[in-house]
Amino acid sequence: MESNWATEHLQTIRTLMERSAVYRRALAPIMFFVGSIGVLAAAAGLVFHLNSPRAFGGLWLGAALVAVAGAFLIARRQALKDHEPFWSPPTRRVTQALLPPLTAGMCLGVVFVLVGLANEFALAFIWLLFYGCALHAAGFFVPRGVKLFGWVYIALAGGCLFFLGIFHPDVEWSAHWLMGFFFGGLHLAYGAYLYLTEKGKNAA
Amino acid sequence: MNPEPFLQLDRVIHEKGRLAIMSMLAASPELSFTELRDALTMTDGNLTTHIRALQQEGYLAVAKSYQNNRPLTTCSLTAAGRKAFAEYINLLEQIIRQTRLK
Repeated sequence: MESNWATEHLQTIRTLMERSAVYRRALAPIMFFVGSIGVLAAAAGLVFHLNSPRAFGGLWLGAALVAVAGAFLIARRQALKDHEPFWSPPTRRVTQALLPPLTAGMCLGVVFVLVGLANEFALAFIWLLFYGCALHAAGFFVPRGVKLFGWVYIALAGGCLFFLGIFHPDVEWSAHWLMGFFFGGLHLAYGAYLYLTEKGKNAA
Repeated sequence: MNPEPFLQLDRVIHEKGRLAIMSMLAASPELSFTELRDALTMTDGNLTTHIRALQQEGYLAVAKSYQNNRPLTTCSLTAAGRKAFAEYINLLEQIIRQTRLK
């Protein structure tokens, strides 16, 4: 009896401590914003035929910068609205989890483009896989299936890479379609899922 | 069963609401009043009462500041609060161990 009571108490404490360390900002507006940037960047790449590795890399690095800056602004706006500090410990943890894979992906992509080692498809896959890893790492501090979302990126991008590499090495369509689907379409779909399931926290 | 660990439990922390506040703050360097209130679904008055009790015991530090011209109240555990919380957890574990050995 005493033991049950003490065990339940400890379990409650553990749950509360875990909840305290979790990032709680609404993610749907951030996902919609990032997805929109992805779709716009893909459209710009297709319309203006930015298909050389340098143009492709420049466009998508620019899009990534806009997406990251916008995501931070949305999170900051939510924090201000809730009268809470923006740079809270959970925000710091999420940023610290995201940074290493994103930085590694960016460095690898930039260096490969500069030394001529990668075409735009290789760049796309490098970034998609590293982005999946970043989401998965952040997922340890964010609820709502972000870890699974990271795995979706890794699995789909890995599957596409395998399929195209083995069966269709001479791809004739633009890599912007790939980036548009992953960075645009998947974010919008995940944003829609979050919007429909998050209660009252989407008005950022 | 040796009743001693149970009797040693800190009465201030042992209350449900205050234990929840201490648990949240033990996992985070600091939390704002609104973060605590929303996470624990407490009313402003209830949370204020518990915070005051913990503050009087020297377990909790409250800092008031302004962020974008809005008042911001943040709470954090003091060294004494961390020690008391750790002792509380140890006692709970001791109670569980003793009951299992019995």
